[in-house]
Amino acid sequence: MADPDLTQFKLVTKGHSFEDFNEGQVFAHHWGRTINAGDNSLFTTATLAYCPLYFNVEYARAHGHPDVVVNPMLVVCTVVGMSVEDLSEAGGPFLGINGLKFHRAVYPGDTLTARSTVVSKRESASRGNFGIVTWRTEARNQRDEIVVSYERTNLVAKRRGAPL
Amino acid sequence: MSDATSTLTGAGNYFEDFEVGAKLRHARGTTIGEIENQMLTKLVLNTADGHYNEHRMQGTQFGQRLVFGLVTGSVCIGLTMQDTGENALAELELTGIRFTSPVFHGDTLYAYTEVLEKRDSDREDAGVVRFKHWGTKQDGKIVFEGERTVLIKRRSHWGNR
Repeated sequence: MADPDLTQFKLVTKGHSFEDFNEGQVFAHHWGRTINAGDNSLFTTATLAYCPLYFNVEYARAHGHPDVVVNPMLVVCTVVGMSVEDLSEAGGPFLGINGLKFHRAVYPGDTLTARSTVVSKRESASRGNFGIVTWRTEARNQRDEIVVSYERTNLVAKRRGAPL
Repeated sequence: MSDATSTLTGAGNYFEDFEVGAKLRHARGTTIGEIENQMLTKLVLNTADGHYNEHRMQGTQFGQRLVFGLVTGSVCIGLTMQDTGENALAELELTGIRFTSPVFHGDTLYAYTEVLEKRDSDREDAGVVRFKHWGTKQDGKIVFEGERTVLIKRRSHWGNR
């Protein structure tokens, strides 16, 4: 049998362009993520985060926690990670995070979900193929309690612009 | 636990030990490779393949995979942690998080901290410290900066527990 002509296969595109964002628009991000103990140990040790709350359960219990605490940077990274396809995968450098608050501890077994709202969008003065978008993101646990919130700003490619 | 918890952490990084204006250069660095960038980027469901598709990135101005900014940020904050958060009770806030230069596989990160502010908290056994952190590459170029606010144990309450 002849090989298929792969050039005729349609690309399943991902992500959004600058033109797709409108102020006030809400994105409920995909998947959700249950953070397990292995995730926490791997992330914490690979980032050298030497606070025993994150890897010594007896120490964590002695400080009033029911289990080890999930490293808050893992929480941030996971929430940003789940938001990437909706907000920033289609291209553009990360400009910053501001006003991030950790509202409560996350424990292994907790499941995080995230939503973002478009706060503002404007043209980039220096790069015509890009715009600048700011989103407010909130993540909640399985009890619908907020665990982290922040504002993130990125350069976002316009539809005709090359992403990188 | 059989041993006192205070024997498990350092004695020089309680709330009382931080002085506003103090500038710290953290002792260790770490080289960024597959574990830090590719593994952690995938672990947190970051779908942007510019962090893990070497083939595609060879066709861009960067010529190779870019390290996910929050991996850089997490490693830089991690490099500060023994000195700034080993005796923390909780991380409270981050702001002004910026990634000022790209990081690639093979780069080595180092971290620096300035103590910006100390204040009482609403619990008497701990206080709040606000830090400014910077991360650099091996050539000294700053790649990360940000402010971090941490709730840190007071020696007066926790030093002998």
